[in-house]
Amino acid sequence: MDWSQFDWLINLALSMQLSIAVLVIVSIGLAVVFGMMGIINLAHGEFLMLGAYATLACVRAGINLWLSMGIAAFVVGIFGLVVEQLLIRHLYGRLADSMLATWGLSLIMAQVMVLIFGPSTQGIATPLGSINIGAYSVSGYSFVLIAAAVVLLAIVYWVFTRTPYGVMARAAMQMPGMAAAVGINPKLINAGTFAFGAALAGVGGALLAPLVGVMPSMGQAYIARAFMTVIVGGPGVISGTASSAVLLGGMENVVSYLSTPFFGQGALLVLAIVLLRVLPTGISGRWQRQL
Amino acid sequence: MMNKNKSRQRFAVEAMGTVAVTAAIAGLAAVISEFQSIQITSWAIYGLLALSLVLVWGHAGIFSFGQGAFFGIGGYAYGVAAINLIGATSETFSAVVIAVAVAAIAAAFLGYFMFYGKVGDVYVGIITLATTLVLFTFMSSTAGPQYHIGEALLGGYNGMTGVPPLSYGTPGEESNAFSPGALLVFTATLAGLVTLGIYGLLRGSFGRVLAGLRENELRTQLLGYDIRFRKLVVFAIGGAIAGLAGALYAAWAMFISPGVFGLQQAALVVIWVLVGGRTSVAGAFVGVVLVDGLASFLGGSGGNATPIILGAVLIGVVLLLPQGLVPAIQAGVGRLFKETKEDKVTAAAETVTEESSRYAGLPVPAGREGGVLEVVDLHKRFGGVTAVEKVTLSFTEKGVHCLIGPNGAGKSTFFNLLVGRYWPTAGTVMFAGKPITRAEAHERVRRGLGIKLQVASIFTGLTTFENVWLAAFGKLHDSAAATGRANKILDWLGLTDRARHQAGALSHGQKQWLEMGMVLASEPSVILLDEPTAGMTREETLLTAELIKELGKSVNVIVVEHDMEFVRHLDVPVTVFHQGNVFAQGSLDELRQDERILDIYLGRGGKAVA
Repeated sequence: MDWSQFDWLINLALSMQLSIAVLVIVSIGLAVVFGMMGIINLAHGEFLMLGAYATLACVRAGINLWLSMGIAAFVVGIFGLVVEQLLIRHLYGRLADSMLATWGLSLIMAQVMVLIFGPSTQGIATPLGSINIGAYSVSGYSFVLIAAAVVLLAIVYWVFTRTPYGVMARAAMQMPGMAAAVGINPKLINAGTFAFGAALAGVGGALLAPLVGVMPSMGQAYIARAFMTVIVGGPGVISGTASSAVLLGGMENVVSYLSTPFFGQGALLVLAIVLLRVLPTGISGRWQRQL
Repeated sequence: MMNKNKSRQRFAVEAMGTVAVTAAIAGLAAVISEFQSIQITSWAIYGLLALSLVLVWGHAGIFSFGQGAFFGIGGYAYGVAAINLIGATSETFSAVVIAVAVAAIAAAFLGYFMFYGKVGDVYVGIITLATTLVLFTFMSSTAGPQYHIGEALLGGYNGMTGVPPLSYGTPGEESNAFSPGALLVFTATLAGLVTLGIYGLLRGSFGRVLAGLRENELRTQLLGYDIRFRKLVVFAIGGAIAGLAGALYAAWAMFISPGVFGLQQAALVVIWVLVGGRTSVAGAFVGVVLVDGLASFLGGSGGNATPIILGAVLIGVVLLLPQGLVPAIQAGVGRLFKETKEDKVTAAAETVTEESSRYAGLPVPAGREGGVLEVVDLHKRFGGVTAVEKVTLSFTEKGVHCLIGPNGAGKSTFFNLLVGRYWPTAGTVMFAGKPITRAEAHERVRRGLGIKLQVASIFTGLTTFENVWLAAFGKLHDSAAATGRANKILDWLGLTDRARHQAGALSHGQKQWLEMGMVLASEPSVILLDEPTAGMTREETLLTAELIKELGKSVNVIVVEHDMEFVRHLDVPVTVFHQGNVFAQGSLDELRQDERILDIYLGRGGKAVA
């Protein structure tokens, strides 16, 4: 088969899959916390950033990159647990206030990172080199990200359907009173869910680290897209996130390809707002499924 | 009207205060240094920005993090317009006007999608914030000569330079820029005018409706107000004020950059308002001065700590002083001077003592004749579950009709189809001869449908009088007439002595009656009541039956009810729902002869009850 005829098409398809994968990676942690707890974590971008820095620090210390990413997930998960204990648990049922408090947290985290690591961009070398497809050169790491997005969705599905914690968490989400009556401790479940969401954010930041520059303000660059993905997706953590990432990521990529990334960003925003006019509770809002 | 005089007095104080502060600042401009003038001007500008959030969030309950977006849009619009126009017109006032218009249109556009899409509160917060952040990325990527509008280069991350200052002049002649002192006088005057305008707006009927919107959106809609449109209007006004602030900012700094769309700038606006108090108009300016003073004080000693302090303030206020700093101080000072506390309203302890014949005659004109509600072949499916199947019913005569049925029989779904919370999968709902199948709830109410949902839905933060007033105003559109009707209805309900107290302090039964009074105030010809006696004491239940019978003498009342004793007491025709269908109709005594109905209620026989 002659690759050269289709190389542009394969390249476009790959870059579209990459856009979609990045949206899934940056938003799955946010989606878990929002979908299962109804909490909007405005510091989610900084959780990503923390994951990226944790990876950076481990790699600098001579640890293998993939292991570093695992450590980053763990570190941010523990951090999330602490945040839940100190801050979030006082604010359940106070939606606006929880947004404001996590916003304050995000300002603090970004600035603390500036004080520790300085405001400049630092990088991790992108592993795996590149592969040539016809006239295009594609980074091998892109395939890792695409695979990682699928794996993350699978992990979330597995955790919420196949583990005792997951079943209890879904029960607690649907009927808190009933769940408590059958002996599920909602405090523990909430702490666990927030930590799980934070760990997902940590691994998301870790996965991004070799792709983009690591800097204290990197959270801001992704948070808007993560929010759009989650609210367009609606309450279905997996189905919603995946379908809205496909729609928004696909749109952004096609428009960027046809014009410039400038219009790609604009198209994502406009599509998201228009979709919400039509489906105010998100894509998965009308589905009967929970995940 | 004592209430009216008080409100007029209060407005006079607010107006005089605003004028005095504005005049004092303008007078100050003559004696202070240029540097001080420049700083106070920035406070007035940021104060306007904070004010836009006080209006939108504090008074309309719209959770907007996007005021910074409209500020930035206003700033960029001023820059583009001023750079392109000043050569021809020699002034930049027109650019300010253009900026305000552009920001208002942007807000209206975003507001249309949010409010007419009926997205939830959280989503409004996220959409507005995400819009702001996307604008940040968007404007940051406009570096390079290809991104220009007319002669204005957008300038990417580094921002737009060479923005003309505020200038006056006549076309063809040299333009004259404002001096810092003059700019301060101009800005302070504008801020004063906007403040006055908002005080006036909040004082009038518009303000009361906004309070209703903030307190209880659903109830406001069920009183016949188009909440989508009202929110859109407030949001656009808020956008215009933020845009004005942005235009003044660009003229003041002679520069605008994507930084105005940043997360920290957006957080600052919220912090100003939290510190000043969410609903306090004057607090907007106080919040700016306090926070900016704190930041510049810290900027002198260690500027790097500013975001940390701001974040800590945000968390601290949320955890410790949810009402805001200034109101908390006010309350503290107020306590020092006020020895005797107002009597705590303990309405719950009160018992109903009046004789049961008190509801003789209705206090409002009886509803229009011919309130006929019909449904034809109504179906409603949720996913694979059919909740209502092929129901055809008509309620043609005035009087009370009861809908009963076991749990899961479909009567609640049916009720929600009537009030417009759900749209049927198939079939038609006709009211007064016209289809209302897919009409919004407020449209149904305007046509004469009175709706009371199961949970008492009142404005708990408003007074009992204001609750009924809002209901009456929604029908009459006349403040004085609404006041008269509200007093009559409160008298009829026996709640006159509670008129000036917060409705949230009423007992459970009183809340339900208050809501029925509110429904009545809009002169409905058909009233829909969903389990009106849920949670009531026996005594309250009997009084409620009395009230409903009285209503039934002049209007068509449809009651969905669980409590069989209450239904027996009403002694009216009953329709039994079972498995999404009308199962039987007749008087309660007739139905009690029917073995099948006992089966349904007791779960006897082969048919299991869900």
